[in-house]
Amino acid sequence: MNSLDRLIKEKLQREIQAKTRRHFIKDCVAGMGGLALGSFFMSCNSFLGNKDNAKIALTERDINPLASMAPPFPAKVKSVIYLHMAGAPSQLEMFDYKPTLHKLNNQACPQSLLEGKKFAFIRGVPKLLGPQAEFKQHGESGNWVSNFLPHFSKVVDEVAFLKAVNTDQFNHGPAQLFMHTGSPRLGRPSIGSWVTYGLGSENQNLPGFVVLTSGGKTPDAGKSVWGSGFLPSVYQGVQCRSKGDPVLYIDDPKGITRNLKKSTIDAINNINKKEFDEYSDPEILARINQYEMAYRMQTAVPEVMNINNEPEHIKEMYGVQPGKESFANNCLLARKLVEDGVRFVQLFDWGWDSHGTGHDTAVDLGLRNKCTEIDRPMSALLLDLKQRGLLDETLVVWGGEFGRTPMQENREGQEMAYKGRDHHGDAFTMWMAGGGIKKGASWGLTDEIGFSALEGQVSVHDVHATMMHLLGFDHEQFTFDFQGRPFRLTDVEGHVIHEILA
Amino acid sequence: MKNKAYLFLLIMGALVLVSAVWMMLKPSDTVDFSADIKPILNKNCITCHGGVKKSGGFSLLFEEEAFANTESGEPAIIPGNAAKSPFIQRLTESDPELRMPYKKSKLSEEEIELLTKWVDQGAKWGKHWAYTLPENVDIPEATQSAGISSDDSGGFIKNDIDHFILRTLENNDLEPSPPADLNVLARRVSMDLTGIPPDDSLFNDFITGKITYENMVDELLSRDAYGEKWASWWLDHARYADTKGYEKDLGRTMWQYRDWVIKSLNQDMPYDQFTIEQLAGDLLPDPSVDQLIATAFHRNTMNNDEGGTEDEEFRVASVIDRVNTTFEVWQSTTIGCVQCHSHTYDPFKNKEYYNLMAFFNNTRDEDTSEDEPNLRFYSEEQQGEVDKIYQWISKNENKEVAKAYNNFLQYSEPIYHAHLAKNYTNGNLADTKWLALRDNGSCYLPDVYTQGADYMYLKYSSGIDGTKVTIRKDNADGEILAQFITNKTKGREIQKIPFQKTNEKLNLYIEANNDKISPKSPTSYISWFAFLPEIKAKKNSGYAQIDDSFMKLLNTNTPTLPIIIENPEYLKRTTQVFERGNWLMKTDTVEPATPQSLNAWNDAWPKNRLGLSKWLVSKENPLTARTLVNRVWQQIYGRGIVASLEDMGSQSDPPTHPELLDWLALRFMNEHNWSIKALIKDMVMSGTYRQSSKNNAKLYNLDPENRLYARGPRIRLSAEQIRDQALAVSGLLSTKMYGPSVMPPQPDGIWQTVYNGGNWVESQGEDKYRKAVYTYLKRTSPYPSFLTFDAGSREVSTVRRTVTNTPLQALVTLNDPVYLETAYHLAKIMRQGKNVDSSIRTGYKKAVLADISEEKLSALKELYNSSLSDFQEKPKNIKEFIPFETDTDANLAALTVVANAIMNLDEFLTKS
Repeated sequence: MNSLDRLIKEKLQREIQAKTRRHFIKDCVAGMGGLALGSFFMSCNSFLGNKDNAKIALTERDINPLASMAPPFPAKVKSVIYLHMAGAPSQLEMFDYKPTLHKLNNQACPQSLLEGKKFAFIRGVPKLLGPQAEFKQHGESGNWVSNFLPHFSKVVDEVAFLKAVNTDQFNHGPAQLFMHTGSPRLGRPSIGSWVTYGLGSENQNLPGFVVLTSGGKTPDAGKSVWGSGFLPSVYQGVQCRSKGDPVLYIDDPKGITRNLKKSTIDAINNINKKEFDEYSDPEILARINQYEMAYRMQTAVPEVMNINNEPEHIKEMYGVQPGKESFANNCLLARKLVEDGVRFVQLFDWGWDSHGTGHDTAVDLGLRNKCTEIDRPMSALLLDLKQRGLLDETLVVWGGEFGRTPMQENREGQEMAYKGRDHHGDAFTMWMAGGGIKKGASWGLTDEIGFSALEGQVSVHDVHATMMHLLGFDHEQFTFDFQGRPFRLTDVEGHVIHEILA
Repeated sequence: MKNKAYLFLLIMGALVLVSAVWMMLKPSDTVDFSADIKPILNKNCITCHGGVKKSGGFSLLFEEEAFANTESGEPAIIPGNAAKSPFIQRLTESDPELRMPYKKSKLSEEEIELLTKWVDQGAKWGKHWAYTLPENVDIPEATQSAGISSDDSGGFIKNDIDHFILRTLENNDLEPSPPADLNVLARRVSMDLTGIPPDDSLFNDFITGKITYENMVDELLSRDAYGEKWASWWLDHARYADTKGYEKDLGRTMWQYRDWVIKSLNQDMPYDQFTIEQLAGDLLPDPSVDQLIATAFHRNTMNNDEGGTEDEEFRVASVIDRVNTTFEVWQSTTIGCVQCHSHTYDPFKNKEYYNLMAFFNNTRDEDTSEDEPNLRFYSEEQQGEVDKIYQWISKNENKEVAKAYNNFLQYSEPIYHAHLAKNYTNGNLADTKWLALRDNGSCYLPDVYTQGADYMYLKYSSGIDGTKVTIRKDNADGEILAQFITNKTKGREIQKIPFQKTNEKLNLYIEANNDKISPKSPTSYISWFAFLPEIKAKKNSGYAQIDDSFMKLLNTNTPTLPIIIENPEYLKRTTQVFERGNWLMKTDTVEPATPQSLNAWNDAWPKNRLGLSKWLVSKENPLTARTLVNRVWQQIYGRGIVASLEDMGSQSDPPTHPELLDWLALRFMNEHNWSIKALIKDMVMSGTYRQSSKNNAKLYNLDPENRLYARGPRIRLSAEQIRDQALAVSGLLSTKMYGPSVMPPQPDGIWQTVYNGGNWVESQGEDKYRKAVYTYLKRTSPYPSFLTFDAGSREVSTVRRTVTNTPLQALVTLNDPVYLETAYHLAKIMRQGKNVDSSIRTGYKKAVLADISEEKLSALKELYNSSLSDFQEKPKNIKEFIPFETDTDANLAALTVVANAIMNLDEFLTKS
């Protein structure tokens, strides 16, 4: 076969694929999402047709890359809220109760644990550091939660714990990338991008993948943790800010009324439509659609990002601070966003890097404050989703990029004034809640001091495989061709963690 | 029902085409490995019988493996005898445990027939087209069909490219489109060559026929803006940025490299030289400053300053990135796969990755926070001093020693970094950067070779006086090699310390004593140690001045640029294979070598980066010229001849016009002598390029991506072009070239990086309006409006930007103050019109270089009228809308709204 034949064959295949995987626009208006702006109306014929009356074959996605699509398998959830504690929270002060570690407090770490291990800051022989919080069993599940999280203790039966998550990355940047893109190196799409690419968005007035940050800093790995890698950039996370414009350039310039902006977009799209009549380039239709959506976003985004209109008891429940950037505000926003059909909401809260180099990073002081900051809002989020019937169709994921050592950090081999723990990726805790999750489950067991997994060790890829499964994807089949090979979120690994599924 | 009928028609249409082509080209009976067999193997067999797995001891990846004995003890393929070949037998086996592909559906009859025929015909192995040299092809002859004349007037055929395009069009029963209107063509070619629309005089000269199209092309290619436009493209390849990346993402000075790219493109440096200087400029004989600057190409790798990271790990990461980037940029090959296992689809072996890595593994950079080695830029006066030192040492000592001192002034290498020290007692590598000993502290600096130096150079800082430092040979009892006192310094200083001459490689034992300080305080922070060959002629006149001036220059702050410098022989690293890509698990030692499946090595080449770069630009290399030609074609036409720009191999998209690709590649090397300008000129002079980009439903349905080029390119402009065009048509664009990157306005609070004090300090005056290529690029937080228009973060090499169409883009051009300012300035030009109609006509013409149609005019006039009444009703809105100027009124504000609309039109954002 020569290359031309192949070309034609390939094209045929493409058409058939397009036909079966998606659907052609049956009538042009339906395909245009919310093309309903005021005076702007186009008849079917002039829209997709042409002088010779032939029609251009387009898929909905050709015009609207965020058009909603059904997953290949039945899904348990429609949307995801991912709470990432950037800096890596200490599982030993929050969820992984180790009474033996308490007994061994201040004793030199056994050499056998240190052999062949690399730490970011620990040098020489460190001492073990007992839990700096008090633990109790809670709820019917009897799962352990520390006194740093009194509110969360009351909702513990809603969640399933993973007590032995493992990562091979022990520096923040690479570990965050690994946790969010499945690779510690740059260039892969984030999980939110994969999901938005696969499912589109339910709401055509809002971005499909929203990122909210708190704690004063963006994550160590930068915007790549919500980047789209080799997927089209339309699927990257859109950072919504609680100060300044919620989305960059979302506000009209001062002095421009909404009516005037509407007239502007009408004029632009009117002319673009004439341009389409002349050039028949579907990109022009897509642009018309994007300008419509931009206009709608300008109203919808500030509306959804405004928490002032929420009832007092809801604000109270989350402990929000309107006008400020806070994790509590972001939790409430996350609920509003998924309620409005946003596919993936990614929260990053910075300030969990408890090395013990000062008050704020001491596991008995600063960490406790961080826990207090998230305790009420994340518990409220679960309850609020539940009372609205949204928890069944939402997946809530909580975790950091790794965990922390049972040893007290001894930076540069010296004893430090505050109690801190170094980075440790062998076994740390994450939890999930929502549709398809076995309530009150706990999977994975660490050794007596919480250093290594004894059973139920799961990898970052396993976590991703599980998330994909709940969203209706087989993580092994959900691929994107790039550089001559199919790429997937879970690379060549990953198993669904059935132990925490309902 | 309608859809079904439609699909039926589509299939029928395609079938007719397929058979037409079959008839026309009459396939020969010989089965071709690359075209017919390899795709079947890749699709069905290679996952289990290839690079990663070799089930049953059988692999189809390499020829010698395919014909070797399998676990059964016999070969699976018996050339000439399909019936006896298990390879064929197993395809039709009835036992599902034996039938291949294992547990997958059976191959189709056609596939089995092809494989059988191939084995019967002798199972001739073949190389994929991408790994064989471009072949000399005849230019297809012009036919007289479709009314195409080859005269220079209105005909389609303008140069040889068109013959190739036309043949494929004819094979598909298509005709080329008519030529684009002259104004459309002028804008198209100007955007493509210079990134901005043509200025009025050039435009008018062309439209009125005063100059020919070729004159215009030549003029555009000669403008400075050409280099600036194409630099953006190359800088994507080079992953050029103004920060180091990773967590801290601190700033670094790289802009001299960006300027080198712009200058080299404008001078049309031949691509072979352009390649050699960037990959191995430091290894050229007596490299010029520019050749050293060029090596910064591979210093654009990221540098990790995150606390607790090990420099060696990220040095290795940089080396890996250089291997991968070199192969992606020059060879369209994703060699990264081979890091862990032999390539699954393409003929590259696991070990060959490390052979390639050995070329790059001997550079001086070690992921240090200071980014050494840094090229130092001296003022004219300082350079005079540098030259004097060189001349004095050459005259009084010898040239070789003089060169060592000169190099040390130029880029301070070779040095022993603090992070090499081991076995600390009472000390540590402070902040993972500096050697810090407390009172009575010690450590070892292993494997030091002093070249018989009589002095040691030490860079350090200290806040404490009176520390006695002793350096001994091997251990605490060893011979004292140096003993000195360190005192308080002003920042980091380089000092010169007498040192016992020795000519062997030794371990330095370093000890610090200062009992006047607290046992917890470090005595000093040492960055590095260095040794230079002895100057014996110290008694000759002038030595004292030379010595003094040398130390002064070393301690002068100068602008710097990270560059690549090769290790001297005594610092050479060996390269080992990493087991499954893990840098901590080192196995076999390897030597530098290039992959066997590509062109042969010439023994005249040195086995280093210089040799490697010569291998790349050898005319025997099948991929270098094809890669470049394909990428330039994509810049011009919006799509590569091989669409997967990053990959040319058995998994890549097949070329739409294979003969044209080869013809262009050969012409680029042999006739144009690697001139990129000549290559671009060929492309834009073609009739193919000059076609109208108007589409129609028939054309679209048959060829949505314009693979056959029955119409001209119509592509959304790049992030850079969109900004530069807006500034250009509003008269704001600065033509200032070169220099440190600038920070045009961006919203507050964009930069929020962990542990990094950097701030976006808005540039003033002309620097606010510089071309996009000069905008500061912070990797973790690139300029937001560029990011929105698909520019990348340049953390890794990008050979193709995906073009998207999103609502966030609309928000940028509608609401970003930068675009409002350009709209205001365009409105001021429009205001000169004698009435509203003529104002709008002027603005539209200025922006898109076309006369406005009555329909479009009335749409904009309506917008003007509603804006005007809005501003007249609420006059305070005028000032709010245009806060940056005092010259405002309702008319100007309304015109600004219209100008903003014009600058949001599809035709403005698109190259038509």
